Amino acid sequence: MTLNLSVLTPNRIVWDSEVEEIVLSTNSGQIGILPNHAPIATAVDIGILRIRLNDQWLTMALMGGFARIGNNEITVLVNDAEKGSDINPQEAQQTLEIAEANVKKAEGRRQKIEANLALRRARTRVEASNPIS
Amino acid sequence: MAMAALRREGRRFATPLISPNPATVFRSSIIPSEEPVLSGVRCISTQVVRNRMKSVKNIQKITKAMKMVAASKLRAIQTRAENSRGLWQPFTALLGDTPSIDVKKNVIVTISADKGLCGGINSTSVKISRAMHKLNSGPDKENKYVVLGEKAKAQLVRDSKKDIELVMTELQKNPLNYTQRSLVAGVKWVMVSVMADDILKNVEFDALRIVYNKFQSVVSFLPTVSTVLSPEVVEREAESGGKLGDLDLYEIEGAETKGEVLQNLTEFQFSCMMYNAVLENATSEQGARMSAMDSSSRNAGDMLDRLTLTYNRTRQASITTELIEIISGASALEG
Repeated sequence: MTLNLSVLTPNRIVWDSEVEEIVLSTNSGQIGILPNHAPIATAVDIGILRIRLNDQWLTMALMGGFARIGNNEITVLVNDAEKGSDINPQEAQQTLEIAEANVKKAEGRRQKIEANLALRRARTRVEASNPIS
Repeated sequence: MAMAALRREGRRFATPLISPNPATVFRSSIIPSEEPVLSGVRCISTQVVRNRMKSVKNIQKITKAMKMVAASKLRAIQTRAENSRGLWQPFTALLGDTPSIDVKKNVIVTISADKGLCGGINSTSVKISRAMHKLNSGPDKENKYVVLGEKAKAQLVRDSKKDIELVMTELQKNPLNYTQRSLVAGVKWVMVSVMADDILKNVEFDALRIVYNKFQSVVSFLPTVSTVLSPEVVEREAESGGKLGDLDLYEIEGAETKGEVLQNLTEFQFSCMMYNAVLENATSEQGARMSAMDSSSRNAGDMLDRLTLTYNRTRQASITTELIEIISGASALEG
């Protein structure tokens, strides 16, 4: 049995093809999905999606959303997604530094929450751009 | 006989210009001899037609330019609209699209353009919204409008001002985008997700009905209604095994309660639907404007043809009369 993965963002379709296995970071921790998984609908956190294809692991940075798994079809609906190979590591590192500085500067509840979210996004992108991790 | 008819025609063209000011006609017919007046009248008549031709030509230039602008904007926005289509389908598969659902608090989100001159797409949205309003009205039911775009606002304010909850305009001044991540320095994007958040925060609803024009081709736009249900309604419907019975087949994970996930899910669904709807409508607007401007430049062309014909005919007539006058004068001298 094969597993079909489609990763969709409002702007474009990021991924739409067969995969062997994925590891998805949900709000309650990471879950691995192999073919013939039980149907679930889950919230997806800001985090990394790992995809196994031809015994190679690919990474993708996901910016929060939902996933629906059922009938060997995985549909991941996210605010934004980027393939690890498309991210410029230096640029991601810079963004992370800016985000870290912003967290220190942030005042007030709303700003703090937003700065923290930005930091998590930046961190995810750095992790995804790093092929070894 | 023929000459008299031609002269009459020449005068007929002149009359609209002269009639508002009869005093000048009177003066000009008294002071010089009769001959210059007639040729003067003829001159004015050709002048009028010439001016008219000039203005029609200018209008044609403008409409042609507007068509070009619409065409280039269309190409850019069409690809974006097509890309945004991928997302609402899985949502519809999961949560269903149930326009017939019967709930208490209906909110109709009317999406229209900010500018006119784009065919009937704005009035179509308004018409469909009014129909939805009428369809869902009844005792102990609430209907509210959320209006996006200047044109729908202008039309809906007239008769249902009290039902309008929220108005957002100037959507297309800045390029549309879903999130702010692709913010380029200096370029301001309209963030649809933020806009959707605004609506969700400020409006109470059981069902949101988004009314927009779906882009099919440059000449055909389908007025469409997308329904987004509130989390409570989704949960109720899923448990009762009604229209959303399929949802119960899935195990819900990722948060403390099912309600929490559903809340996030419907909010996300709404912002995605909104994004798609706004893009589709913008694409339809450009397409409609393109075809409207195309037909108006064609009409201007037809008008120009007719005017040129009239102009040439009057010119010919005046030349003919002058020739006849010269010849008859000469023959009178000879004879």
